[in-house]
Amino acid sequence: MALFGARKPRDPWPRPRRQLTSWLRDHRRSAAETLGFVSRRFGTSLLVWLLVGIALALPAGLYLARENLISVGAAWEGRPGLSVYFQLDAEPASVKALARQLDSLASIERVDQVAPEQALKDFQGFAGVAEAIEIIGRNPLPASLRAVLAPEAAVGDLEGAARLARKAAGVEEVVVEKTWLERLLDLSDLVTRLALILGGLFGLGAVLITATSVRLAIESRLEEVRVLKLVGATEAQIRRPFLYFGAFYGLGGALVAAMLIALALLVIEPPLTRLTASYEADLKAEGFDPMFLGILLGVGLFLGMAGARLAARARLRSLDVA
Amino acid sequence: MGHIQFQQVSKRFPNGQEALRSVSLNFAAGSMTFLTGHSGAGKSTFLRLLLCLERPSRGQILVNEVNVSALSARRLPHYRQNLGAVFQDHHLLADRSVFDNVAIPLRVSGMLERDIGRRVRAALTRVELLSKERQLPASLSTGEQQRVGIARAVACRPKILLADEPTGNLDPKLSRDIMYLFRQFNQVGTTVIIASHDHDLIESMGERVIELRDGAVIRDDDPAGGVAIPPSAPAYQADD
Repeated sequence: MALFGARKPRDPWPRPRRQLTSWLRDHRRSAAETLGFVSRRFGTSLLVWLLVGIALALPAGLYLARENLISVGAAWEGRPGLSVYFQLDAEPASVKALARQLDSLASIERVDQVAPEQALKDFQGFAGVAEAIEIIGRNPLPASLRAVLAPEAAVGDLEGAARLARKAAGVEEVVVEKTWLERLLDLSDLVTRLALILGGLFGLGAVLITATSVRLAIESRLEEVRVLKLVGATEAQIRRPFLYFGAFYGLGGALVAAMLIALALLVIEPPLTRLTASYEADLKAEGFDPMFLGILLGVGLFLGMAGARLAARARLRSLDVA
Repeated sequence: MGHIQFQQVSKRFPNGQEALRSVSLNFAAGSMTFLTGHSGAGKSTFLRLLLCLERPSRGQILVNEVNVSALSARRLPHYRQNLGAVFQDHHLLADRSVFDNVAIPLRVSGMLERDIGRRVRAALTRVELLSKERQLPASLSTGEQQRVGIARAVACRPKILLADEPTGNLDPKLSRDIMYLFRQFNQVGTTVIIASHDHDLIESMGERVIELRDGAVIRDDDPAGGVAIPPSAPAYQADD
């Protein structure tokens, strides 16, 4: 031991072993004090909640819109596909051959064959059609195929299948049914990106709002912070009430955002129902569920605490005591 | 616990002002000392250095043989929990009752609420303010506020008690009472250092007096005789 010569004095101020209960007590006290402070300044707190709420409501609302666009796409009868119409005199054998050929493609999920007789039967249900056909005197409907795109395939894969179909014998016309769906997918992509950009910007806004509010709270309690530093409070203890500030502001803001979105849904539901009814689809705005609420609250909590940390770090470090 | 050594401590502020010039002083554990000198002589700087609110430009400050001016930010709070500090403008929180003000250091140290109640009442009894524990500081007189500050400083039973002009704006009678109060704490083993410019009061106390001028020690009188603690004295006891 002589090598290490110098007597190392025992630590006269050991880090006290703090029990979990004392730590929890400290948290409870901080939370209660902060809650008291927030409720005493209810007007200011309400303003912060509204600001954070509005900042969160827009990206969250866009997220919901995107979810609904995607579910509209999924709920629509039939995924994108192509219809092949044969010439009236086409051989049933060539219809079958093309059906098999298309079915063997990886991008095609299934192929439905519609014989001319079947088409006529389906068609006769419509008013006036029966009379028209009687006048013509023969079945004017050709045999057709409908190939449905496999769920994992891209819309672009339809083009390959369409080229194949156009070269087959007896084919009159190939119709690729993708345009409106492509538009919808483009739209949901656009909404996704818009939500990401706005989410980033408004999330930053929420962080800055809470940071500013917590900064004000710190300023109004500087004297307390000084005393706490003087009597040996740790940085964590000094920061704690302000982190609760951020948490309360963030959670309150998320609740406001949830209310705003609920209100917005109530307002847009009637026209939305009329619109979807005209497309013969029974669609409802969905996604506003406990899971969504949980995520919204979690994001609010996180952003609020991030803002509080930012403010506490900036202000408390440089604080001159006494 | 409570042995303090200043070893050639200098403090120069960024504006060039030299608040302390190579000050070397020894304070035995359990001693009582008055620090005097005109304003700007370095008394407050001395106490702020001891509280680690400032770091010395040169030299070191040993408390129980540990260089406290080199303590990490993580360990500093635990050192400060062993100090009690009283200021002229007492730093009481206006929106908390007398009780809650005194309880602050105890809550920081993680004490149970029922023990806190006992300690706070004991401290308030010492400064004779138990009857006013529910009042807000603003409803108390200046002398009473100062005593609340003292109760807060001693509530966690510090090894070292520091006071910066604790009687600054009190009348002579109150000032004397406050000084006697400090002596009571000293008599139970607390190292007490009081900065004050009240010459008459200090001289009447019959304790060690250190006078500073322009950051240097110009007088160190100890009526108890000689050096307060020999340099080879045991550094600190194993426990309080």
